[in-house]
Parts: sequence; structure tokens; C-alpha cells
Amino acid sequence: MSYDDVEIEDMEWNEELQAYTYPCPCGDLFQITKEELKLGEEIARCPSCSLYITVIYNAEDFADQKSNKNLNPQKQTVAVA
Amino acid sequence: MEENQKGKLISRQQEDEKGSIGEEQVWSWGAGTDGQLGTGRLRDEYLPQSLHLPSLSSTGPISMLACGGAHVVALTSGGKVLTWGRGTSGQLGHGEMINSLSPKPVECLGNDFITQVSAGWSHSGFVSDAGCAFTCGDGSFGQLGHGDYRSHCSPIKVSYFVNKHAQQIACGMRHSLVLLTDCPGDQVYGFGAGKRGQLGISINNIKSINLPQVTCGFRDIKITAISANGDHSAAISADGQLYTWGRGFGGTSDSHCPQLVASSLCCSKASLGWNHALVLSGDGEVLMLGGTHHGVLSDPKKMNPPKHLSANSGESLLERVPSPDGMKVVQIAAGAEHSALVTDDGVIKTWGWGEHGQLGLGNTCDQTKPQTVHLDREYPQKDTTLRVYCGSGFTYAIRSPRLLTQT
Ligand SMILES: [Zn+2]
Repeated sequence: MSYDDVEIEDMEWNEELQAYTYPCPCGDLFQITKEELKLGEEIARCPSCSLYITVIYNAEDFADQKSNKNLNPQKQTVAVA
Repeated sequence: MEENQKGKLISRQQEDEKGSIGEEQVWSWGAGTDGQLGTGRLRDEYLPQSLHLPSLSSTGPISMLACGGAHVVALTSGGKVLTWGRGTSGQLGHGEMINSLSPKPVECLGNDFITQVSAGWSHSGFVSDAGCAFTCGDGSFGQLGHGDYRSHCSPIKVSYFVNKHAQQIACGMRHSLVLLTDCPGDQVYGFGAGKRGQLGISINNIKSINLPQVTCGFRDIKITAISANGDHSAAISADGQLYTWGRGFGGTSDSHCPQLVASSLCCSKASLGWNHALVLSGDGEVLMLGGTHHGVLSDPKKMNPPKHLSANSGESLLERVPSPDGMKVVQIAAGAEHSALVTDDGVIKTWGWGEHGQLGLGNTCDQTKPQTVHLDREYPQKDTTLRVYCGSGFTYAIRSPRLLTQT
């Protein structure tokens, strides 16, 4: 059973781990990488215990480089100008 | 995750002046991979470990412990603070962002007499006898209250309270609460993450705030204690009423303003987990809110019928925790997903999630009913006082010689 549902905006990007993280009740961190999100993975696991959370996010936000560029606000500004 | 023991503190100080109070014993168990157990080892312990902490014992008796995500803050009867465990966000206040395997004094607070401390997920709070509030650690959600989102590795005075008198601080996962003295109406403040309503500042859907703001709803109520953990907040009034706000318990909706939990209950203490709350009633009975989350804190079939309905229909229920051998309970402590209590005959019981040995029962099993923890040395109860404290996935017990001043 998933311990919790957590929105991606509530997770923190951890440079050292190269993963989005969220506190686990064991004291460690639930972790999910950008690559996993790109593949549509929803489960963030804790390396220290059996618990995991379900990550809520828009698949398009992580889909691939092309769609990321489409979301780029600078591009939109250019389009508006 | 915090507790004000001012009464005990004063009696201990008096004792200090008279001389030695004898040997104090400290045990720890549970998750230990960041040094939070003080054992000098980086591993989980399934049974209570008797600790030898020269740096701590030389500073005098411990008046309280606060256990956070993976760090511990100890307050001595002389108003000194020592910390250990995970320090990578600056939560130890040692001036650097590294772990410490053994208790080290927070030098920066050396000139202040600290009266109360709290440990959050990755930040810490301290209150001095002069009414100043200090914070250190992770500030990325504004939980340090300094008007920015920076982290600090040494305690910094929260300037918002400079001309006010702070009495208590409570640190949750990503938020903090402060209780002021002699400030009717505007006595409780919140800062940090507020998405789940845990600041109680009546601005719906506020993501975070980095300066203290008044918690609503206490204009005509005198608050005597506050607590915070996970995305929950709670306060107890002088007449024993319990209020909670923030993330809902047991699947109920979040509350952005303090809600009265059960008006018929006289509450002497509340301790919050990440999905449950423990309540100690005036007659030594323990009740629990939201214990069915994650399926490990209680078994609804084994629980007695709910004692009270909440003030508002649709709110979660308070369940009675089966009374251990009919004994009165004198202290409660909630970890993220586990619970502990001390009975008035000096027995520690634990229940809930046990995967890291945080129940101290020698295994990693979950327990839905309180189970007795066996410390390695037993003393006649009349001569000692036992206290228990829970961090996210670990537990501490302290046995102190009973003082003549405590009857
Ligand atoms: Zn974990």
C-alpha cells in the first residue's frame, strides 16, 4: 500500500542524489529520478525501508526534450512578440 | 515533538544547587543511520541501548529531549543545549552542515539560558528565559521565520519576536509554531510550509510564508501548549481543550483554522505523529486520532468503541488506546508512525510501525496494541522517574533519580 500521495511540487530536487525527494517517516527520503518520471514511473521509494509513495505529476512535463521546449516560457514570449 | 517541562526544570535547578542528583540513564533504539541514537554506530537498534555520553552527562541532568527527523536536541537543567544526529541541513546548530555521532554543545547559544527546545524534520527551535526564539537548519520553506528561504547552521534569533516574549516553539516537517506569553488574542504564530493549513493563518492555499503570522481562532482562548509534527499542528488551552489544524487525521479534510477536537475531553497533553495524534486525558487515559492510517497504529477491531465524537461531524474519531493493565498513563510520545507511553508504575509501552526497531521489542514487527519495553536495568519505581521521547523512526528513554522535591 502506498504510504501517501505526494504532488511533485511538494518534492524537493536533491542535487547530490539527482532525484526528487520527500521525507520518509523512517528518517530517510523517498526518491524518484527525472529519468523514472520520463518513463511514467509514479512510485518513489525509500532506500532504507519498505515504504513508497505515489507521485502526482503531469507526464507531459517530463515526457522528453521536445515537449519541454514547447513548455519553455521564453519560446512562448517569442511567439507572442 | 516538544514538551515544556518548566516545572520539572525549576525543581531540578534547586536540586543542582544542593549538589549531585545521582546517575541519570539514557537509552535509545530504532533507526540509527545518521547517528541519531548516540551509540557511536550508524545502524538500527532493535533493543534499548544504554548510552554512555560523557559530553552530555558532564553538562548536568537532561530536562528535556526533542527528537526530529534524524537528529536530537537535548536541553540540560542549566539551560544548555546539546545536539547530535543528522546535521546536513544545519539543524544541529554547530556552525557546519555535517552529522555528529555524539552530543555536542550548541556554542552559539552559550550566553542564553534556554528553557524549551523542539526538533522538526530538518530544522530546530530554541526558546530562552528572556523570551527569545532561535531557529536553525533547513529554511527552504520559510520554517526558520527570518523573512527568507535560507538555511542556517547556527541558531539565529527570530527578530519578529524581539519585543515579544516567546514561551514555546514547535517544529513540524516544514513549518514552525511559536507560543507567546502574556499576549492574549495574538498568542500563537505559524511560519513555513502552509499548504495543508498547518499554519492556521486563514489564508487558504498559502504555499509557504517566511515571517511569523498569527494563527486564527484563539482570540478569547488562553493557550498553554503547542505541538507540531508532519503537516499537523495542535494547541491545548488552559481549560484542557484540544485544537488541531493542518492535515486532516484519518482521511478527513485539511483544516486551515484550529478546530476543537472533543469538547467533553479534558486534555493534559497532546503529541503529534505524521498521520496520528496521541492525547493524554486528565485521568491518565490515552486516546488516539487517525490511528488507522498505514494500518499499523491500531486495529479497529481490537480498539474499544470511539469514546467521543468530534465537535464537528465528519471529523475523525478519537479512539481509546487499550489501557495497559489498567494502569494510569503519565506520559505520551508520538513518532512519525509509532507511539510510546509511560505508565505511573514506571513501565514504557510502544506500538505502531516497527520496521526499524523503533518499538524496542527486539524485532521489526508492527504492533497494534501497546507492548512493554524492557530496559536492561530495573529500579524500584518509587526512586526513579521515567520519560520517553520519539523521533521520526527512533525512540529515547531517560530514567532519572526521583527528586525529593517531586512528590
Ligand atoms: Zn524509509
